[in-house]
Amino acid sequence: MDMLQFIGPASGLLFTLENIIWINLGVFIGSVFAAIPGLSVILCVILFLPVTYTMSAVPGMMFLLGIYCAGGYGGSVSAILINTPGTPHAAATMMDGHPLSQQGRTKAALKIALYASTFGGIFSALMLLFLGPQVAKISAKLGTAEYFMVCLFGMTIIAGVSGKSMIKGIIAACFGLLLSCVGSDPMTSYDRFTFGVSRLYLGLDLAVCLIGLFALVEIIAKAEKKHSELNMHASKISKDDGKITKDEYKRMVRPVVLSSLIGSMVGIVPGTGASEASWFSYNTAKNMSKHKEEFGKGSVEGIAAAEAANNAVTGATLIPLLTLGIPGDGVVAIMLSALMINGLNPGLSLFTTDGDIMYAIMLGLILVNIFMFIQGKFLTSLFAKVVAIPQQILTPIIVIFCFAGAYSVNNNYFDLSVALVFGLMAWLMRKLELPAVPVLLGMVLGNMTETNFRRALLISNGSPSIFFSSVFCWIFIGLIAIVVFSIIRSKIKETRAAKTATQEVSSNG
Amino acid sequence: MKRILSLILAVLMIVGMFAGCSSKTESWKVTCPWAPSGVAAMVSQKAAAKSTEHSDSITLVAEAIKGDAATVNTWVADTEANDPELVFVGEGLLSITSIIDPAKMQFSYDDFVFVENLYSSIFVLSADAKLNIKSLADLEAYVAKGEEISVAVNGATSSEAFLAAALFGSMGAGAQLKLTPYQSAAEAAQAVAKGETKFAVSHQTQILETYQQGSVSIVCAFDEKAIEDGPFAGVEGVGEHGYPYFRNCCFVMARKGTDEQKITELKNLYDEILKDEEVSTWLNDTMLLEADTMSTEDVQAHIENVQNIVNQYKDVVVG
Amino acid sequence: MKDMIERVDTRLDCWGEKLSKKNIRYPADLVTGILFLVVSVVILMIMPQQVAISEKDVVNGREFPKLLMYVMMAASAVLILKEGYKIVTKKPLEMKTLNLLVEVKALIIMLILLGTYFIAKVTDLFVVGAVFCCLAFLVYFRCRKKSYYAITLTLAVAIWAAFRFILGVNF
Repeated sequence: MDMLQFIGPASGLLFTLENIIWINLGVFIGSVFAAIPGLSVILCVILFLPVTYTMSAVPGMMFLLGIYCAGGYGGSVSAILINTPGTPHAAATMMDGHPLSQQGRTKAALKIALYASTFGGIFSALMLLFLGPQVAKISAKLGTAEYFMVCLFGMTIIAGVSGKSMIKGIIAACFGLLLSCVGSDPMTSYDRFTFGVSRLYLGLDLAVCLIGLFALVEIIAKAEKKHSELNMHASKISKDDGKITKDEYKRMVRPVVLSSLIGSMVGIVPGTGASEASWFSYNTAKNMSKHKEEFGKGSVEGIAAAEAANNAVTGATLIPLLTLGIPGDGVVAIMLSALMINGLNPGLSLFTTDGDIMYAIMLGLILVNIFMFIQGKFLTSLFAKVVAIPQQILTPIIVIFCFAGAYSVNNNYFDLSVALVFGLMAWLMRKLELPAVPVLLGMVLGNMTETNFRRALLISNGSPSIFFSSVFCWIFIGLIAIVVFSIIRSKIKETRAAKTATQEVSSNG
Repeated sequence: MKRILSLILAVLMIVGMFAGCSSKTESWKVTCPWAPSGVAAMVSQKAAAKSTEHSDSITLVAEAIKGDAATVNTWVADTEANDPELVFVGEGLLSITSIIDPAKMQFSYDDFVFVENLYSSIFVLSADAKLNIKSLADLEAYVAKGEEISVAVNGATSSEAFLAAALFGSMGAGAQLKLTPYQSAAEAAQAVAKGETKFAVSHQTQILETYQQGSVSIVCAFDEKAIEDGPFAGVEGVGEHGYPYFRNCCFVMARKGTDEQKITELKNLYDEILKDEEVSTWLNDTMLLEADTMSTEDVQAHIENVQNIVNQYKDVVVG
Repeated sequence: MKDMIERVDTRLDCWGEKLSKKNIRYPADLVTGILFLVVSVVILMIMPQQVAISEKDVVNGREFPKLLMYVMMAASAVLILKEGYKIVTKKPLEMKTLNLLVEVKALIIMLILLGTYFIAKVTDLFVVGAVFCCLAFLVYFRCRKKSYYAITLTLAVAIWAAFRFILGVNF
């Protein structure tokens, strides 16, 4: 593959007015869609796919990539503004984005999310351009056992998102993992925990559950506030100048770079996605931060880490797609069909037969991220105005968006009832001080963990040695050991600090 | 800004409503109950895009709602005769699920009227290139050694699983067979290249890239005769050696009771689309599929053939 | 009309005042432990009916949920034992307070959400549910501004129209 040979013709294919218009349209639609809870990026891509039928490959892909990349950023908007992630992968952003917004720094939170998203997106686009085929070959070596190890590593995040009690975090995560078992058994197709409800054969849709767990419970939580306390204080809104200090920029650098790398690595592995990447990165940023105490309370590092990672996934998922023909996630799988409808069958051979198109797509991804940044800069101030809308108007509108979003996932009212049940469940969990994030994490990782665990043992005829059979497995075992060790160490430290504090109080008393 | 946005929204709504009212064409929604990125969804999208070129009165609108039996259950429950709705069903639902897990299906063949078969796909068996198995004779020799036969398939009780069970079962190696289910066809096709299984059954397109990179060899095709065209031309069919097989079909169905005239109109439209040079070239060259129009009798025969195979080899698949 | 609304508001405030003084305290950790211990036992008990398995499976479909339930049981037991130890040693338990007014308000919001769902489902017209949702929340927030009613209702219809006519969601 001679890149230089194709760059010229690829640029000619890419830099046309038609492409620029489609990119911008895609970016705008993607941002708005992802910002609405329940309207996932995949749903948006499915809805707008027919638009690409009449286009040739490059503008069609540019439009879809615009939706895909902006969707990565758009989910953070509602996470920051209304404490409801627009898409599952923005849940980690919500942890710090909304608290920062509550401090009257909505614009700053949105800006951090945008800057980090753009960096993550461009980072992975460059990775795709320069290292795509090489990285794809390595990722193709990762098998079922390695995937299971990735999931196991993901489980260590539970400690970081459990809040006050890790035991409660474990209970919540087990509950989430159990919920992921509902539906057809991925290994045998037999039903599990469907209680005769035919709609449950398909399992619980993550986007629908998310609406209940985070959006509807926020609506119910309005009960905790007096009518006079509902709206954000006007002085807070007017003070929001969106300024990010030099110190904050400095603090963002490390998590953004590291998370872009993590996001790219996770994105390359087919089956994993932006949700896993953002949680891995959030956890890593928290563990490496000098300001751990700020996490969960509006940390700029937390927002930056989560957003850089979930956008870094976008370019990385294209690596196995364009080089091996393997779609990394659902959205990319639909892009594969868009390419195939245009008569292009992705794979390394396509780099020789249609190299100009391939490189135009890869270069286009950089362009998409640049336009996402430009549009984001304009939209930030518009989005930030949402916090100034009176709650009397905003609350029913959020509910209508959530319900319409939940309905449109599968075009049925059953999903609405699922969202309501999850809303009620999340409310009860609040009453028991049980964190909701581990439930979400369990649901994100559950299916992948179980399937890979069982398939690995099926491949090895029941022998657990398969989990120690490759260098990659050992790398993950090492990482898990380091994380577990640091969790235990920090818990011991916390206990000691608590004891010392109690002793000091009693001696003073 | 607000005014401009409201104006745009209002104009769009009015235009949409007028467009809906004044349109002479009837839109038929075609529901594909499988992955939006799958082969059937892609062909449906292509057919929908071409429908306006071949008909003034019917426009096909493709929709993919992943869910298999659950999606078709909903479709059957929500539609009535003469509703402008079509749905895809294949042997997976009509011949496999109906025997293996009938409780999942709240419908039967009698709830539909057959319109047309969109395509038929010949699955291929690929083997780890290191095994050097390139023909059925090589495969028979390998099976005779009595070694474990691990096959990657897309789904535990999928068409691919039953094709593998039928082939190895009829070779007398059902007990040696270990089916390893994956969650997508692409994953299953990759499993052999990764060394997780020795064989895989997949659509031709899904194994093409791995084959071109030399990681796998193609052993045989699940068809009567050898593949005639495309990158796998010359790969022998299992039918030539007397082994059972079936092709993967995609039946377009309307709701039972729909006017015969309408059905004929739809069938003609699909036939026109499938005859379209661009579509047939695309089906053959890119998708490695065959346009394969069928009669109701052909459909019945196909369903029965697969049902016989399922009944005979279900113990090999589900235990 | 205005007088009547004010009288209703005063009465509601009066009830609210009374309810806000009523609190229920409960040991959150102990309740969590007991609740999830029961949940895990129930799930383990219903597992054979809910999860069919095949004898061919190396690791069958029950193993993973079973493992999860054992972990849940162990974690719940730890919570119960921790709190039990506190009771024995007469240390203060982790207590949480429920305010009756908050819970009644939460119940009303839940009823609004349920109402929206049922109205939309029964009428098979989402926009009717959406209109109910707007009106119910505005009444709940005791909104008196007519402009808010107009804005919210217009937005509700516009959202429905956008989903229905632009995105093609049939509801």
